[in-house]
Amino acid sequence: MRSMHVTDALSAYVDGALNEGERAHVERHLETCEDCRHHLSVLRDLVTTVRSVAPVAAPEGFRAQVRARVEQIGARPAATRWWPRLPMPWRVLSAAAAVLVIGIFAVNLLRPEGPVAMREFRGPGESPAVTGDRMRSAAPSAPEGAQRAIPGQNTLALRRVIRTAQVDVEVDKVEDAAERLLRIAEEAGGFIADSSYAETNGVPHASFVLRVPVPRFAGVVASLDGVGRVARRSIHGQDVTEEFVDLEARVRNLERHEQRLLTFMDRTTKVSELLAIEQELTRVRGEVESLTGRARYLSNQSDLATLSVAVRQKTKKTSGALWDFGATLQRMQAAFVATVRQLLAGVETIAVAASALIPVLAFAAVGWVLFRRWRMARI
Amino acid sequence: MNDAELVARSQQGDTDAYDQLVGTYQHRIFSLAYRITGNREDAWDAAQEAFLKAYRNLYGFHGRAAFSTWLHRIAVNAALDVVRRRAAQPPVPLDVTLRSLDDPADEVMRSDLQQRVHRAIAALPVEQRVAIVLRDLQGLRYEEIAGVLRIPIGTVRSRISRGREMLRVMLADLAPASGEGRTA
Repeated sequence: MRSMHVTDALSAYVDGALNEGERAHVERHLETCEDCRHHLSVLRDLVTTVRSVAPVAAPEGFRAQVRARVEQIGARPAATRWWPRLPMPWRVLSAAAAVLVIGIFAVNLLRPEGPVAMREFRGPGESPAVTGDRMRSAAPSAPEGAQRAIPGQNTLALRRVIRTAQVDVEVDKVEDAAERLLRIAEEAGGFIADSSYAETNGVPHASFVLRVPVPRFAGVVASLDGVGRVARRSIHGQDVTEEFVDLEARVRNLERHEQRLLTFMDRTTKVSELLAIEQELTRVRGEVESLTGRARYLSNQSDLATLSVAVRQKTKKTSGALWDFGATLQRMQAAFVATVRQLLAGVETIAVAASALIPVLAFAAVGWVLFRRWRMARI
Repeated sequence: MNDAELVARSQQGDTDAYDQLVGTYQHRIFSLAYRITGNREDAWDAAQEAFLKAYRNLYGFHGRAAFSTWLHRIAVNAALDVVRRRAAQPPVPLDVTLRSLDDPADEVMRSDLQQRVHRAIAALPVEQRVAIVLRDLQGLRYEEIAGVLRIPIGTVRSRISRGREMLRVMLADLAPASGEGRTA
């Protein structure tokens, strides 16, 4: 029996376009099916008829006109082109978009710290203590941190943070370091609260306590690099806002209590009562003084940051030889390592930047492929 | 000089080289356009558009496919564009179409049989017409047609098959007369 499928196969069979298996199948079927044999012969006749139609020649003048139009178009910059042929405004727009995207990425990558919001999440009681290298990036944020309004609180209460830092510095001459520290403290509007000097095993060392206004704290910590080699540095911040507010409230309560005692004293006439009230008044006054003292201390501590600087003279390698070969070798090694480290850091930066661009490039590639598809499909 | 060399030189902007390519392919491409569009004016437009489009996009041609396949693809699409444009326009009065078909200056159209076949092909649905023209008039193989139209080979097969079925019905009265010598 002839079905649509067999008809399909017969047409391709006439063209010799069937594969081995299909052809064998059709031929087996033809041996038994009279209908299909007839259909095949009809199909063959039809194809012969259709193919007998003579090809048409292009008319006179066709080639000449094509040539004239081609010359109008002119010479095309050919295979060297690798960017899409877009109309002018599109080209400008896509170039602008590319520059914009790359610019945004560059800014994001080169920004020294993460988004500012990340640093806002410190709880009030938490004391942010940072040591070592990380401090370098944290230090610049210290001034705002110290005197910033508490977010989410309507009254603009000032943060009270006691900032302290311990820094060990190695210097060439302790006397020079002392002078420079004094200048640093004075330039920052602070002072040297304490200093001591000693010598152990012939190596002089000294310690200083600098008090500087909190807003200048970070700058002063950074400028210690200019004094000598910073061997150790730790920074500590203690948030005392709550304690401060609590002290103020307690002082207010005690003062109200004092007022009441005073009015009692006016009314009473008994000596024994007067004595008792007098005693209580003394106690309350003492407590008020002590609390205010504490508050003043906190206020002072949080207005002025405290830097403890330990200064030690560098130990000179005094070997008797003319040339200290070991030291030179050490310096060479240090220089070598530093260079390698810088190179690696550079490579890392490039790798990070490249990885950040991967999604953009992927998008661009997909867009480019789609564009090509679309353009080729239109041809 | 072969196609590849001419294409390479055309890509450099050598219009003489491209003119040679046009000379090689003009009849085949015009024929193709003529069978798809059905008349000479449209065929001229479509074929010319195809050659210009090919020239403009020559830099995008990397020789992955043969130049002739690529050119066929462009020409088929150009012809289909013309057909579609014609369809969107108000219908051309029948006598005008007929006049262009029955152009007395056209020697090819003298023969009655040729005219019958041409009209039958022109009456096929576009997809089947293109497949039949590429196969039986341009002599392309199934794989080449699949490449030109960017469709699977099975689709090529069924389009040709269905097109022939329709032609068989339309040309039923011709078949016995022309096929007598072959069936034996």
